[in-house]
Amino acid sequence: MSRKVCIAGGVATPFDYPMHITPEAMAANCIVETQHEIPDFTLKDLQFMVYSHFSVHFGKQLCPEWIVHDHLGLVGLPHVRIENGGNTGGSALFGAFMAVKSGLFDVVGVYGWETMDNVTQSQGSEFIALASDTRYEALAGGIYPIYYAAMAYKFMKDNDLTEEDFALAAMKNRNYAADNPGAQFYRSDYTNPKSPYYKKTLTVEDVMESRLISYPLKKLDCCLMSRGGAFALVTTEEWAKKHAPDTYVEIAGAGLSSCTIRAGDRIDFPGWNKLYGKGYPDMTEFGACRKSGEDAYDMAGIEYKKAAKEIDVAEIHDAFSSSETQIYKALHWCDKENIKEFVREKQTFLDGEVPTNVGGGLMGYGHPVGATGIMSALECSYHLNDTAPKKHLSSKTYVKDANTGLVNSHAGTGTSISNFILRRP
Amino acid sequence: MTNDKRLHKIPGHTDVEWDDKHSDEFRGNVEETGIGFMGYDWDSKEEQFKVYLHYDQLYYWKYAEVSKLGKGFVDGEFWGTKCPKCGDKFFPPRVNCWNLDDNLEKTEWIQLKEEGIVHTFTVAGWSGKSSLKRLPFILAYVIVDGCKTAIANELRGIEPWEADFGMPVKVVWKPKKERQGTVTDWHFEPADGWKPGPMNEEKERIKELCQPVIEWVKTMK
Repeated sequence: MSRKVCIAGGVATPFDYPMHITPEAMAANCIVETQHEIPDFTLKDLQFMVYSHFSVHFGKQLCPEWIVHDHLGLVGLPHVRIENGGNTGGSALFGAFMAVKSGLFDVVGVYGWETMDNVTQSQGSEFIALASDTRYEALAGGIYPIYYAAMAYKFMKDNDLTEEDFALAAMKNRNYAADNPGAQFYRSDYTNPKSPYYKKTLTVEDVMESRLISYPLKKLDCCLMSRGGAFALVTTEEWAKKHAPDTYVEIAGAGLSSCTIRAGDRIDFPGWNKLYGKGYPDMTEFGACRKSGEDAYDMAGIEYKKAAKEIDVAEIHDAFSSSETQIYKALHWCDKENIKEFVREKQTFLDGEVPTNVGGGLMGYGHPVGATGIMSALECSYHLNDTAPKKHLSSKTYVKDANTGLVNSHAGTGTSISNFILRRP
Repeated sequence: MTNDKRLHKIPGHTDVEWDDKHSDEFRGNVEETGIGFMGYDWDSKEEQFKVYLHYDQLYYWKYAEVSKLGKGFVDGEFWGTKCPKCGDKFFPPRVNCWNLDDNLEKTEWIQLKEEGIVHTFTVAGWSGKSSLKRLPFILAYVIVDGCKTAIANELRGIEPWEADFGMPVKVVWKPKKERQGTVTDWHFEPADGWKPGPMNEEKERIKELCQPVIEWVKTMK
């Protein structure tokens, strides 16, 4: 188990809503562009494909990975699809990590995508809500932003935060996305003369003035629905060193954990009570984030209390501005005593302690579920291999001299969460 | 093994006969039209083609060992479960205990008091297609009758900005004829005697955020 696993390289498509390209063409584009960076890499190098796709409802196609795999000409090669809600991308990456770490395969492709623009936004919300407990929650009018808002409101109260504190993350990630040509905010708002946010640097006031989604969340506190794809090449260190010496990063730590499907079932859960004390995570925090984060920190040799200092750049699952803020705490970057200062001192902005979602995150880059976690891993790696200035429009959103990155992928109401520590070799 | 009390009963193939049927009462006889193409769009400049695909389906959700919950809703009763080993009480019901130390102990059905405490809540200004006309509404997570879990449902009977953490609530049922055996058969309302607290800055803010939503819903057909 001592072999090191690496992300040799990879590419995400632009994310947008709507966007006119099929899942299989997005996969082909991603692989072609990966070859621009790793000229040695061909489809013949692949030994195993892990497909990352959340909802077959959006395409009205069961086993859509079969279409993609067939289209790429990979017939004969083993393939699986991993589906794990919003953490589908992270889970697929975890699957590829296991496949290489185990010694079974040396070169594994991970391709994820989602085509949420196949239905209206409100129908899309309802589809996604089918991943909540439909027997008890979706029927009562609940959709994910509503569940998250109920958790965010309690978190806000318990930690003495305000709507404006959450709004900082919403403003930050979108403004960073304005420097990223693949980002949905850049494509659909920042460069779109018809958008109210055309060429606009957002402020906290913009977030506060956007329409109510579910208190305390407004429209700009929420991530985007998207079409998009992303491909990552997960390999042994030996392969990466030989074929991708300039782009590869090491997966130094990986953790995957789970929590209840219904947020209301985690206020007194026996397993969490034993591990973290009675009542944790309540409906305010994410137990699966803390656990998978700690597992990743352990594997990478990072002391929990020093995590914020050790991590130079992070891409985390900002489905909502509030959940980004909740994740800061779950990952031990701050605690109840100092979370307010941590947020208000902008410690996750580019000049702060842990620059977070400088690629735009889910609120800025977009959230085509199956592609998201992979996009996050790639965006994080761009700072560890110094390709960010080339990938982004400028060096404004490049974190220089970064050696350690964190990638977080998150599902349900915190029902499945993965964390990865990436390192510059 | 067959005597293991933790095993759930599975009726025989011909045992379930549905002698009390209500399947067509709510939307009429729903027709499954199956998959069908409904039209197309063409963009001549970019040469982009798009078709409209329609697909609808009817599901048969069998409550099986949780049937007591569904029948209870129709009859205006709240049934939860309790683990005979550790005493944990569940609503929504879990038919096996969640405590790993109790090794899938089968829980017992218990009738619950139709009252609870708001653990947390939110005021929704946007929702899924089927709920848009109800906006804005309060979705509250309520701990019913001392259970170890909180259940989400709508809190009505007050203005959306009047709800509070920790407020006591009661269950209010739909008229019996309208009940379908699902969580939409009932909602929460403030417990008798509860009065909303005075308006404050936060409540004013929620009220202000709700106004455009109220106006928007008025324009919906």
